[in-house]
Amino acid sequence: MARTDPKKDVVIVGLGWTGSIMGIELAQEGLEILALERGPDRATVPDFKYPKVIDELEYGIRFGFMQKPRNSTITVRRNGDEVAQPMRRLGSFLPGDGVGGAGIHWNGQTWRPMENEYRLRSYVEEEFGADAIPEDMTIQDWGVTAEELEPYFDRFEYMAGISGQAGNINGEIIEGGNPFEAPRSRDYPLPPLKQTVDAKMFAGAAKSMGYHPFPRPAANASEAWTNEYGMQLGPCNFCGFCERYGCINYSKSSPQTCILDALKRYPNFSYRVNSEVLRVDLAPDGQTATGVTYWDDEAGEEVTQPADLVILAAYQLHNVHLMLLSGIGDPYDPRTGQGVTGKNYAYQMNGGTTLFYKDVDFNPFAGAGSVGMAIDDFAINQIDFGAEGFIGGSYIVAGNSNGQPIRGISLPEGTPKWGAGWKQGIGEWYGHSMSIGSHGSCLAYRDCHLDLDPTYTDRHGRPLMRMTFDWKPNDIRMTQFMKGKIEEIAQSMNPDSWQSSFKSEGARYDIRPYQTTHNVGGAIMGTDPNTSAVNRYLQAWGQHNVFVLGAGAFPQNIQYNPTGAVGALAYWAARAIREDYLPNPGPLA
Amino acid sequence: MTPRFLQTSRRAFLGGSAAAAALAALSEGAQAQQPLPPLEEYAPVFLTPAEWAFVMAATARIIPSDGDGPGAQETRVPVFIDRQLAGDFGAATDLYMQGPFTPDADMNLGTQSPLTPAEIYRQGIAAFETWCSNELGAAFADLPADQQDSALQALADDDVGLEPELREFWTLLLQNTKEGYFADPRHGGNAGMQAWVYIGFPGARANFHEWAGRDEAYPLGPVDIAGERA
Amino acid sequence: MRTYLKILVGLIVVGAIALLAFILVPVQRTPAQAQLPDDWQPEEGQGEYAMRIADCAACHTAPDGEQFTGGRAIESPLGVIYSSNITPDDATGIGGWSLDDFRAALYDGVRPDGTHLYPAMPYENYRKLSEEDVRALYHYFTEEVEPVRNETPEAELPFPFDQRWTLRGWKWLALDDPGFAADADDPVLARGEYLVEGPGHCSACHTPRNTIMAEAAVDASDEAFLSGGEIAGWTAPALRGPDSAIAGWSQDDLVSIFSTGRNAHAAVNGEMQLVIRDSTQFMSDEDLTAMSAFLVGLNEGTGQARAESETTETETEALIASADPDMPLGTRLYIDNCNACHFANGRGADEVFPELDGNSLVTAESPTGLISMILEGSELPSTPKRPYSLRMPGFADRLTDEEVAELASFVRQGWSNDAGPVSAASVAELRGKAQAKME
Repeated sequence: MARTDPKKDVVIVGLGWTGSIMGIELAQEGLEILALERGPDRATVPDFKYPKVIDELEYGIRFGFMQKPRNSTITVRRNGDEVAQPMRRLGSFLPGDGVGGAGIHWNGQTWRPMENEYRLRSYVEEEFGADAIPEDMTIQDWGVTAEELEPYFDRFEYMAGISGQAGNINGEIIEGGNPFEAPRSRDYPLPPLKQTVDAKMFAGAAKSMGYHPFPRPAANASEAWTNEYGMQLGPCNFCGFCERYGCINYSKSSPQTCILDALKRYPNFSYRVNSEVLRVDLAPDGQTATGVTYWDDEAGEEVTQPADLVILAAYQLHNVHLMLLSGIGDPYDPRTGQGVTGKNYAYQMNGGTTLFYKDVDFNPFAGAGSVGMAIDDFAINQIDFGAEGFIGGSYIVAGNSNGQPIRGISLPEGTPKWGAGWKQGIGEWYGHSMSIGSHGSCLAYRDCHLDLDPTYTDRHGRPLMRMTFDWKPNDIRMTQFMKGKIEEIAQSMNPDSWQSSFKSEGARYDIRPYQTTHNVGGAIMGTDPNTSAVNRYLQAWGQHNVFVLGAGAFPQNIQYNPTGAVGALAYWAARAIREDYLPNPGPLA
Repeated sequence: MTPRFLQTSRRAFLGGSAAAAALAALSEGAQAQQPLPPLEEYAPVFLTPAEWAFVMAATARIIPSDGDGPGAQETRVPVFIDRQLAGDFGAATDLYMQGPFTPDADMNLGTQSPLTPAEIYRQGIAAFETWCSNELGAAFADLPADQQDSALQALADDDVGLEPELREFWTLLLQNTKEGYFADPRHGGNAGMQAWVYIGFPGARANFHEWAGRDEAYPLGPVDIAGERA
Repeated sequence: MRTYLKILVGLIVVGAIALLAFILVPVQRTPAQAQLPDDWQPEEGQGEYAMRIADCAACHTAPDGEQFTGGRAIESPLGVIYSSNITPDDATGIGGWSLDDFRAALYDGVRPDGTHLYPAMPYENYRKLSEEDVRALYHYFTEEVEPVRNETPEAELPFPFDQRWTLRGWKWLALDDPGFAADADDPVLARGEYLVEGPGHCSACHTPRNTIMAEAAVDASDEAFLSGGEIAGWTAPALRGPDSAIAGWSQDDLVSIFSTGRNAHAAVNGEMQLVIRDSTQFMSDEDLTAMSAFLVGLNEGTGQARAESETTETETEALIASADPDMPLGTRLYIDNCNACHFANGRGADEVFPELDGNSLVTAESPTGLISMILEGSELPSTPKRPYSLRMPGFADRLTDEEVAELASFVRQGWSNDAGPVSAASVAELRGKAQAKME
């Protein structure tokens, strides 16, 4: 069975953060818009309501709000010689599905990249010489600058009601903020969250070592907030169920709390759930898209949905998958370095040190997703790459997001994993540890890429996407550098004991333990169609009526959580479409 | 074909099926919780009597009853495991289960077994019991505690000769035992929220604004999703 | 003896004739209160706007029905009345009604055939409608609305209230003179007074009923006007006087509640949500300002005491923040169920989570609204300025009747609140009703 529905002006693939932003921005233009969401509909009540969602097993462990590998997964290999295996169970990263996407279950850590991260290759070449870049490292400039994106970050942060403390307003350094950040035009919309015990202890130690602690910017509202669409947030109550959960309290910025009810009022906007887009349909000459074909779960049939404009707003992995399946951009070939789609897949290099204190009550259950104090004294713009022997940087942070017991109770080294010793350990140590983490860059390499798997298929018979990725010496040197810095701070804090967990030489990528859902690249932006999949406005080079949003555009990963930049780029692209593309459809670059 | 979601899109958020859910909630009402029947009287849904005996004995060693804090028995962890195996978790409802399968692939690439978790338990218990009777001369449940501990350690160390399809067995058993210990009582374990009380986790309260940043012991006991207090 | 009999028979005959006349002689219909040219036409949108300010949609639309086709059940203390179809359908609606017919329904509560309308139709207030608004409404409902055939059910009232002719006597006692004359000279206040007393028919719910179930006052000059009433078992709070729910509210607070259903103090609940949904959110800024200014004027001099209590930590707040295991059950239930949004100080958050301290729903003499809120939750209407349909979930499945009673009693007496306790029996009764309603 198959059907063809009446043409729309715009079809949006995925109704998470970027789909919602683009949806409402284009709805304001009066365009007829259809958003297609492969997962179910979701709203604060009933889906995230208290107490139903405060169920660690169901949502934190069994991943109630995440994509089901049975419906959608990838295969993974560490290098070109290995046979990729399907990711049968979720672990390393947790893409969302359903309305709101990963925007419902994130922690809310909302950063702006450093100025030099947008032009990393140029920066390294200028400051340290082209030789500083290893032969297999394929870092690139974004084709857009911090200055250009500033108004769009501002827009996103005010839309999402971010709590924080500015450190640099138009070049003026503000005490208590991040002095190393790129200049911003004004302060955050909301004051910082109040801080947890661990964050205060870390900030005190960092400050006495001469570092510059500041509150981590949070999409957890510190006060009530109403945004430009009239949407509202209530104050975060430190419930300790943020990441992996929808917010019970209208406190975490999400498409639901910040956009969707406003968007749904537009009669020219509609959306369908349980509708997975199978491919973007191209005109016979391949120069434009004619719409999309999707699977309508309710009707049990394929649907052809013609549209003038196709916005890929799914998760990074799915956007790239759709591009590969639809012939948008030449697939990247790591042997020749030719092709663009799937190029420069990158991840995130994190590590941490846990500190144990018998006599401190951290009350870890009183947490918020983005609470915490951070330092950027070892950020990517503060490090002498030549002297240290790596390219990259990290922010370092302490701040407790939850005390959920199944997800893990930190126990001192030597505590048994089970049995009487384990039971005694959890009784003694629950609530008596804290951790200091580093959240760092992960750069792009010639062989780290995404393509179509030759063996495994999904439920629609499409080839799964294959990820080729492993940790690289440059990034391991970076994280080992951070280990040294963090352990110095940790020691100065006089814990009863402490232990570190950082990737060390020879570390291989392990897809089992959760690390981070910061998958980037594969649909990278740039100024040259030979080296990037989309132009600086996120428009496909080959099909001017296809725009690809999300972190797929990052040419390598930044040292920060990606959502801030993802949101800013969505507004940046929306402006280009509204003001430049719609009056005169065609290539914008 | 009715474009159902087009019709519902702008109305769905006004309630939709919420009314039905609310009705269910109202008619169900909130009842004072009935005392649970003794663990011995529980009739397993998935596990056979022999498997149940193993799970009872193994979880009792993974989280023993002696010492401070409740054990797996008092918190009814075996009930939790049985219910999990009988449900979506046991059936691998969410997992990608298409072949080809390479069960002995590098561990870092994640589970590659063609078996569901329920099948891994079934075959894993059988294989481990065979090992126990061959090596130790008795079914696991009949072994003395110290021999049970060393047998489980051998299982944990992958020293009992399990096929690659079953190599996740110990990881699942250990993980599910801890899940049953700490999960909300609605899933069958953590009876009386005893595990939460033991470590000082306040359960499903989900609001601690007044306690963020306070370095003092939080005194109030937990509440669960059903609203029970401990 | 025969003489007495003659007199008695004579009286019976006279009485019967009088009664027949009372039943059968047509009612004198109130004429137009101002003369407009015959060819007067409303401006574009004026008819719809008049419909919005008079909030015809809320009552004349069934929950799942088409707009204005009636059939909505209106629970009166005497029984259920169903709203009528006011689309211009000839057979089931108001098709063929003349302007005079239409005006008579608004002013006098009579149909063209002389049938009396039950006073669920607020003709006590609509008698104040200007002729221009009457004409605009007439144009809207006869020219702009599409006719829809929809037969509405008969009212379910016991004898003698099912005898509509008796309403003639009721009206003779209840109805004031038609027409509106403002008390205020200020044109903004006068406009506000008109909207509140006339089309807005605020007093239909917010004014107490007298012994014959009529509004105790229909004019702001009477202190009974807007001094609090009841609707569907919920308290419609006083909007003036010592118990005013809006004491201390600014004009902006009121504009915000009318246009969005929420403000820094409160969120609308119960039937008032329909008023926001169907009426006030569509009103012009000028009219909202006028109405708000008028209501602020009715509350001058109230609300001082509360402003002080907002700055000091109450015992209630300190107890909640202590997390002391020995706290009473009601406090514990508050922490376990309510504190997440309404916070330890009971002050919620501006426009998102309503204040419980000083909240009129919480402290109302009848706890019906509060109990229903705890059991069933509530959802704010989506409006252009505040599109978010913020929803409080119900707690019926988590709390027993005894627990709801403890919790409700706690919030009624927490912080600066001082209202009576709630019994488990009242909770049981409302739980049963809510269940029956949903089934």
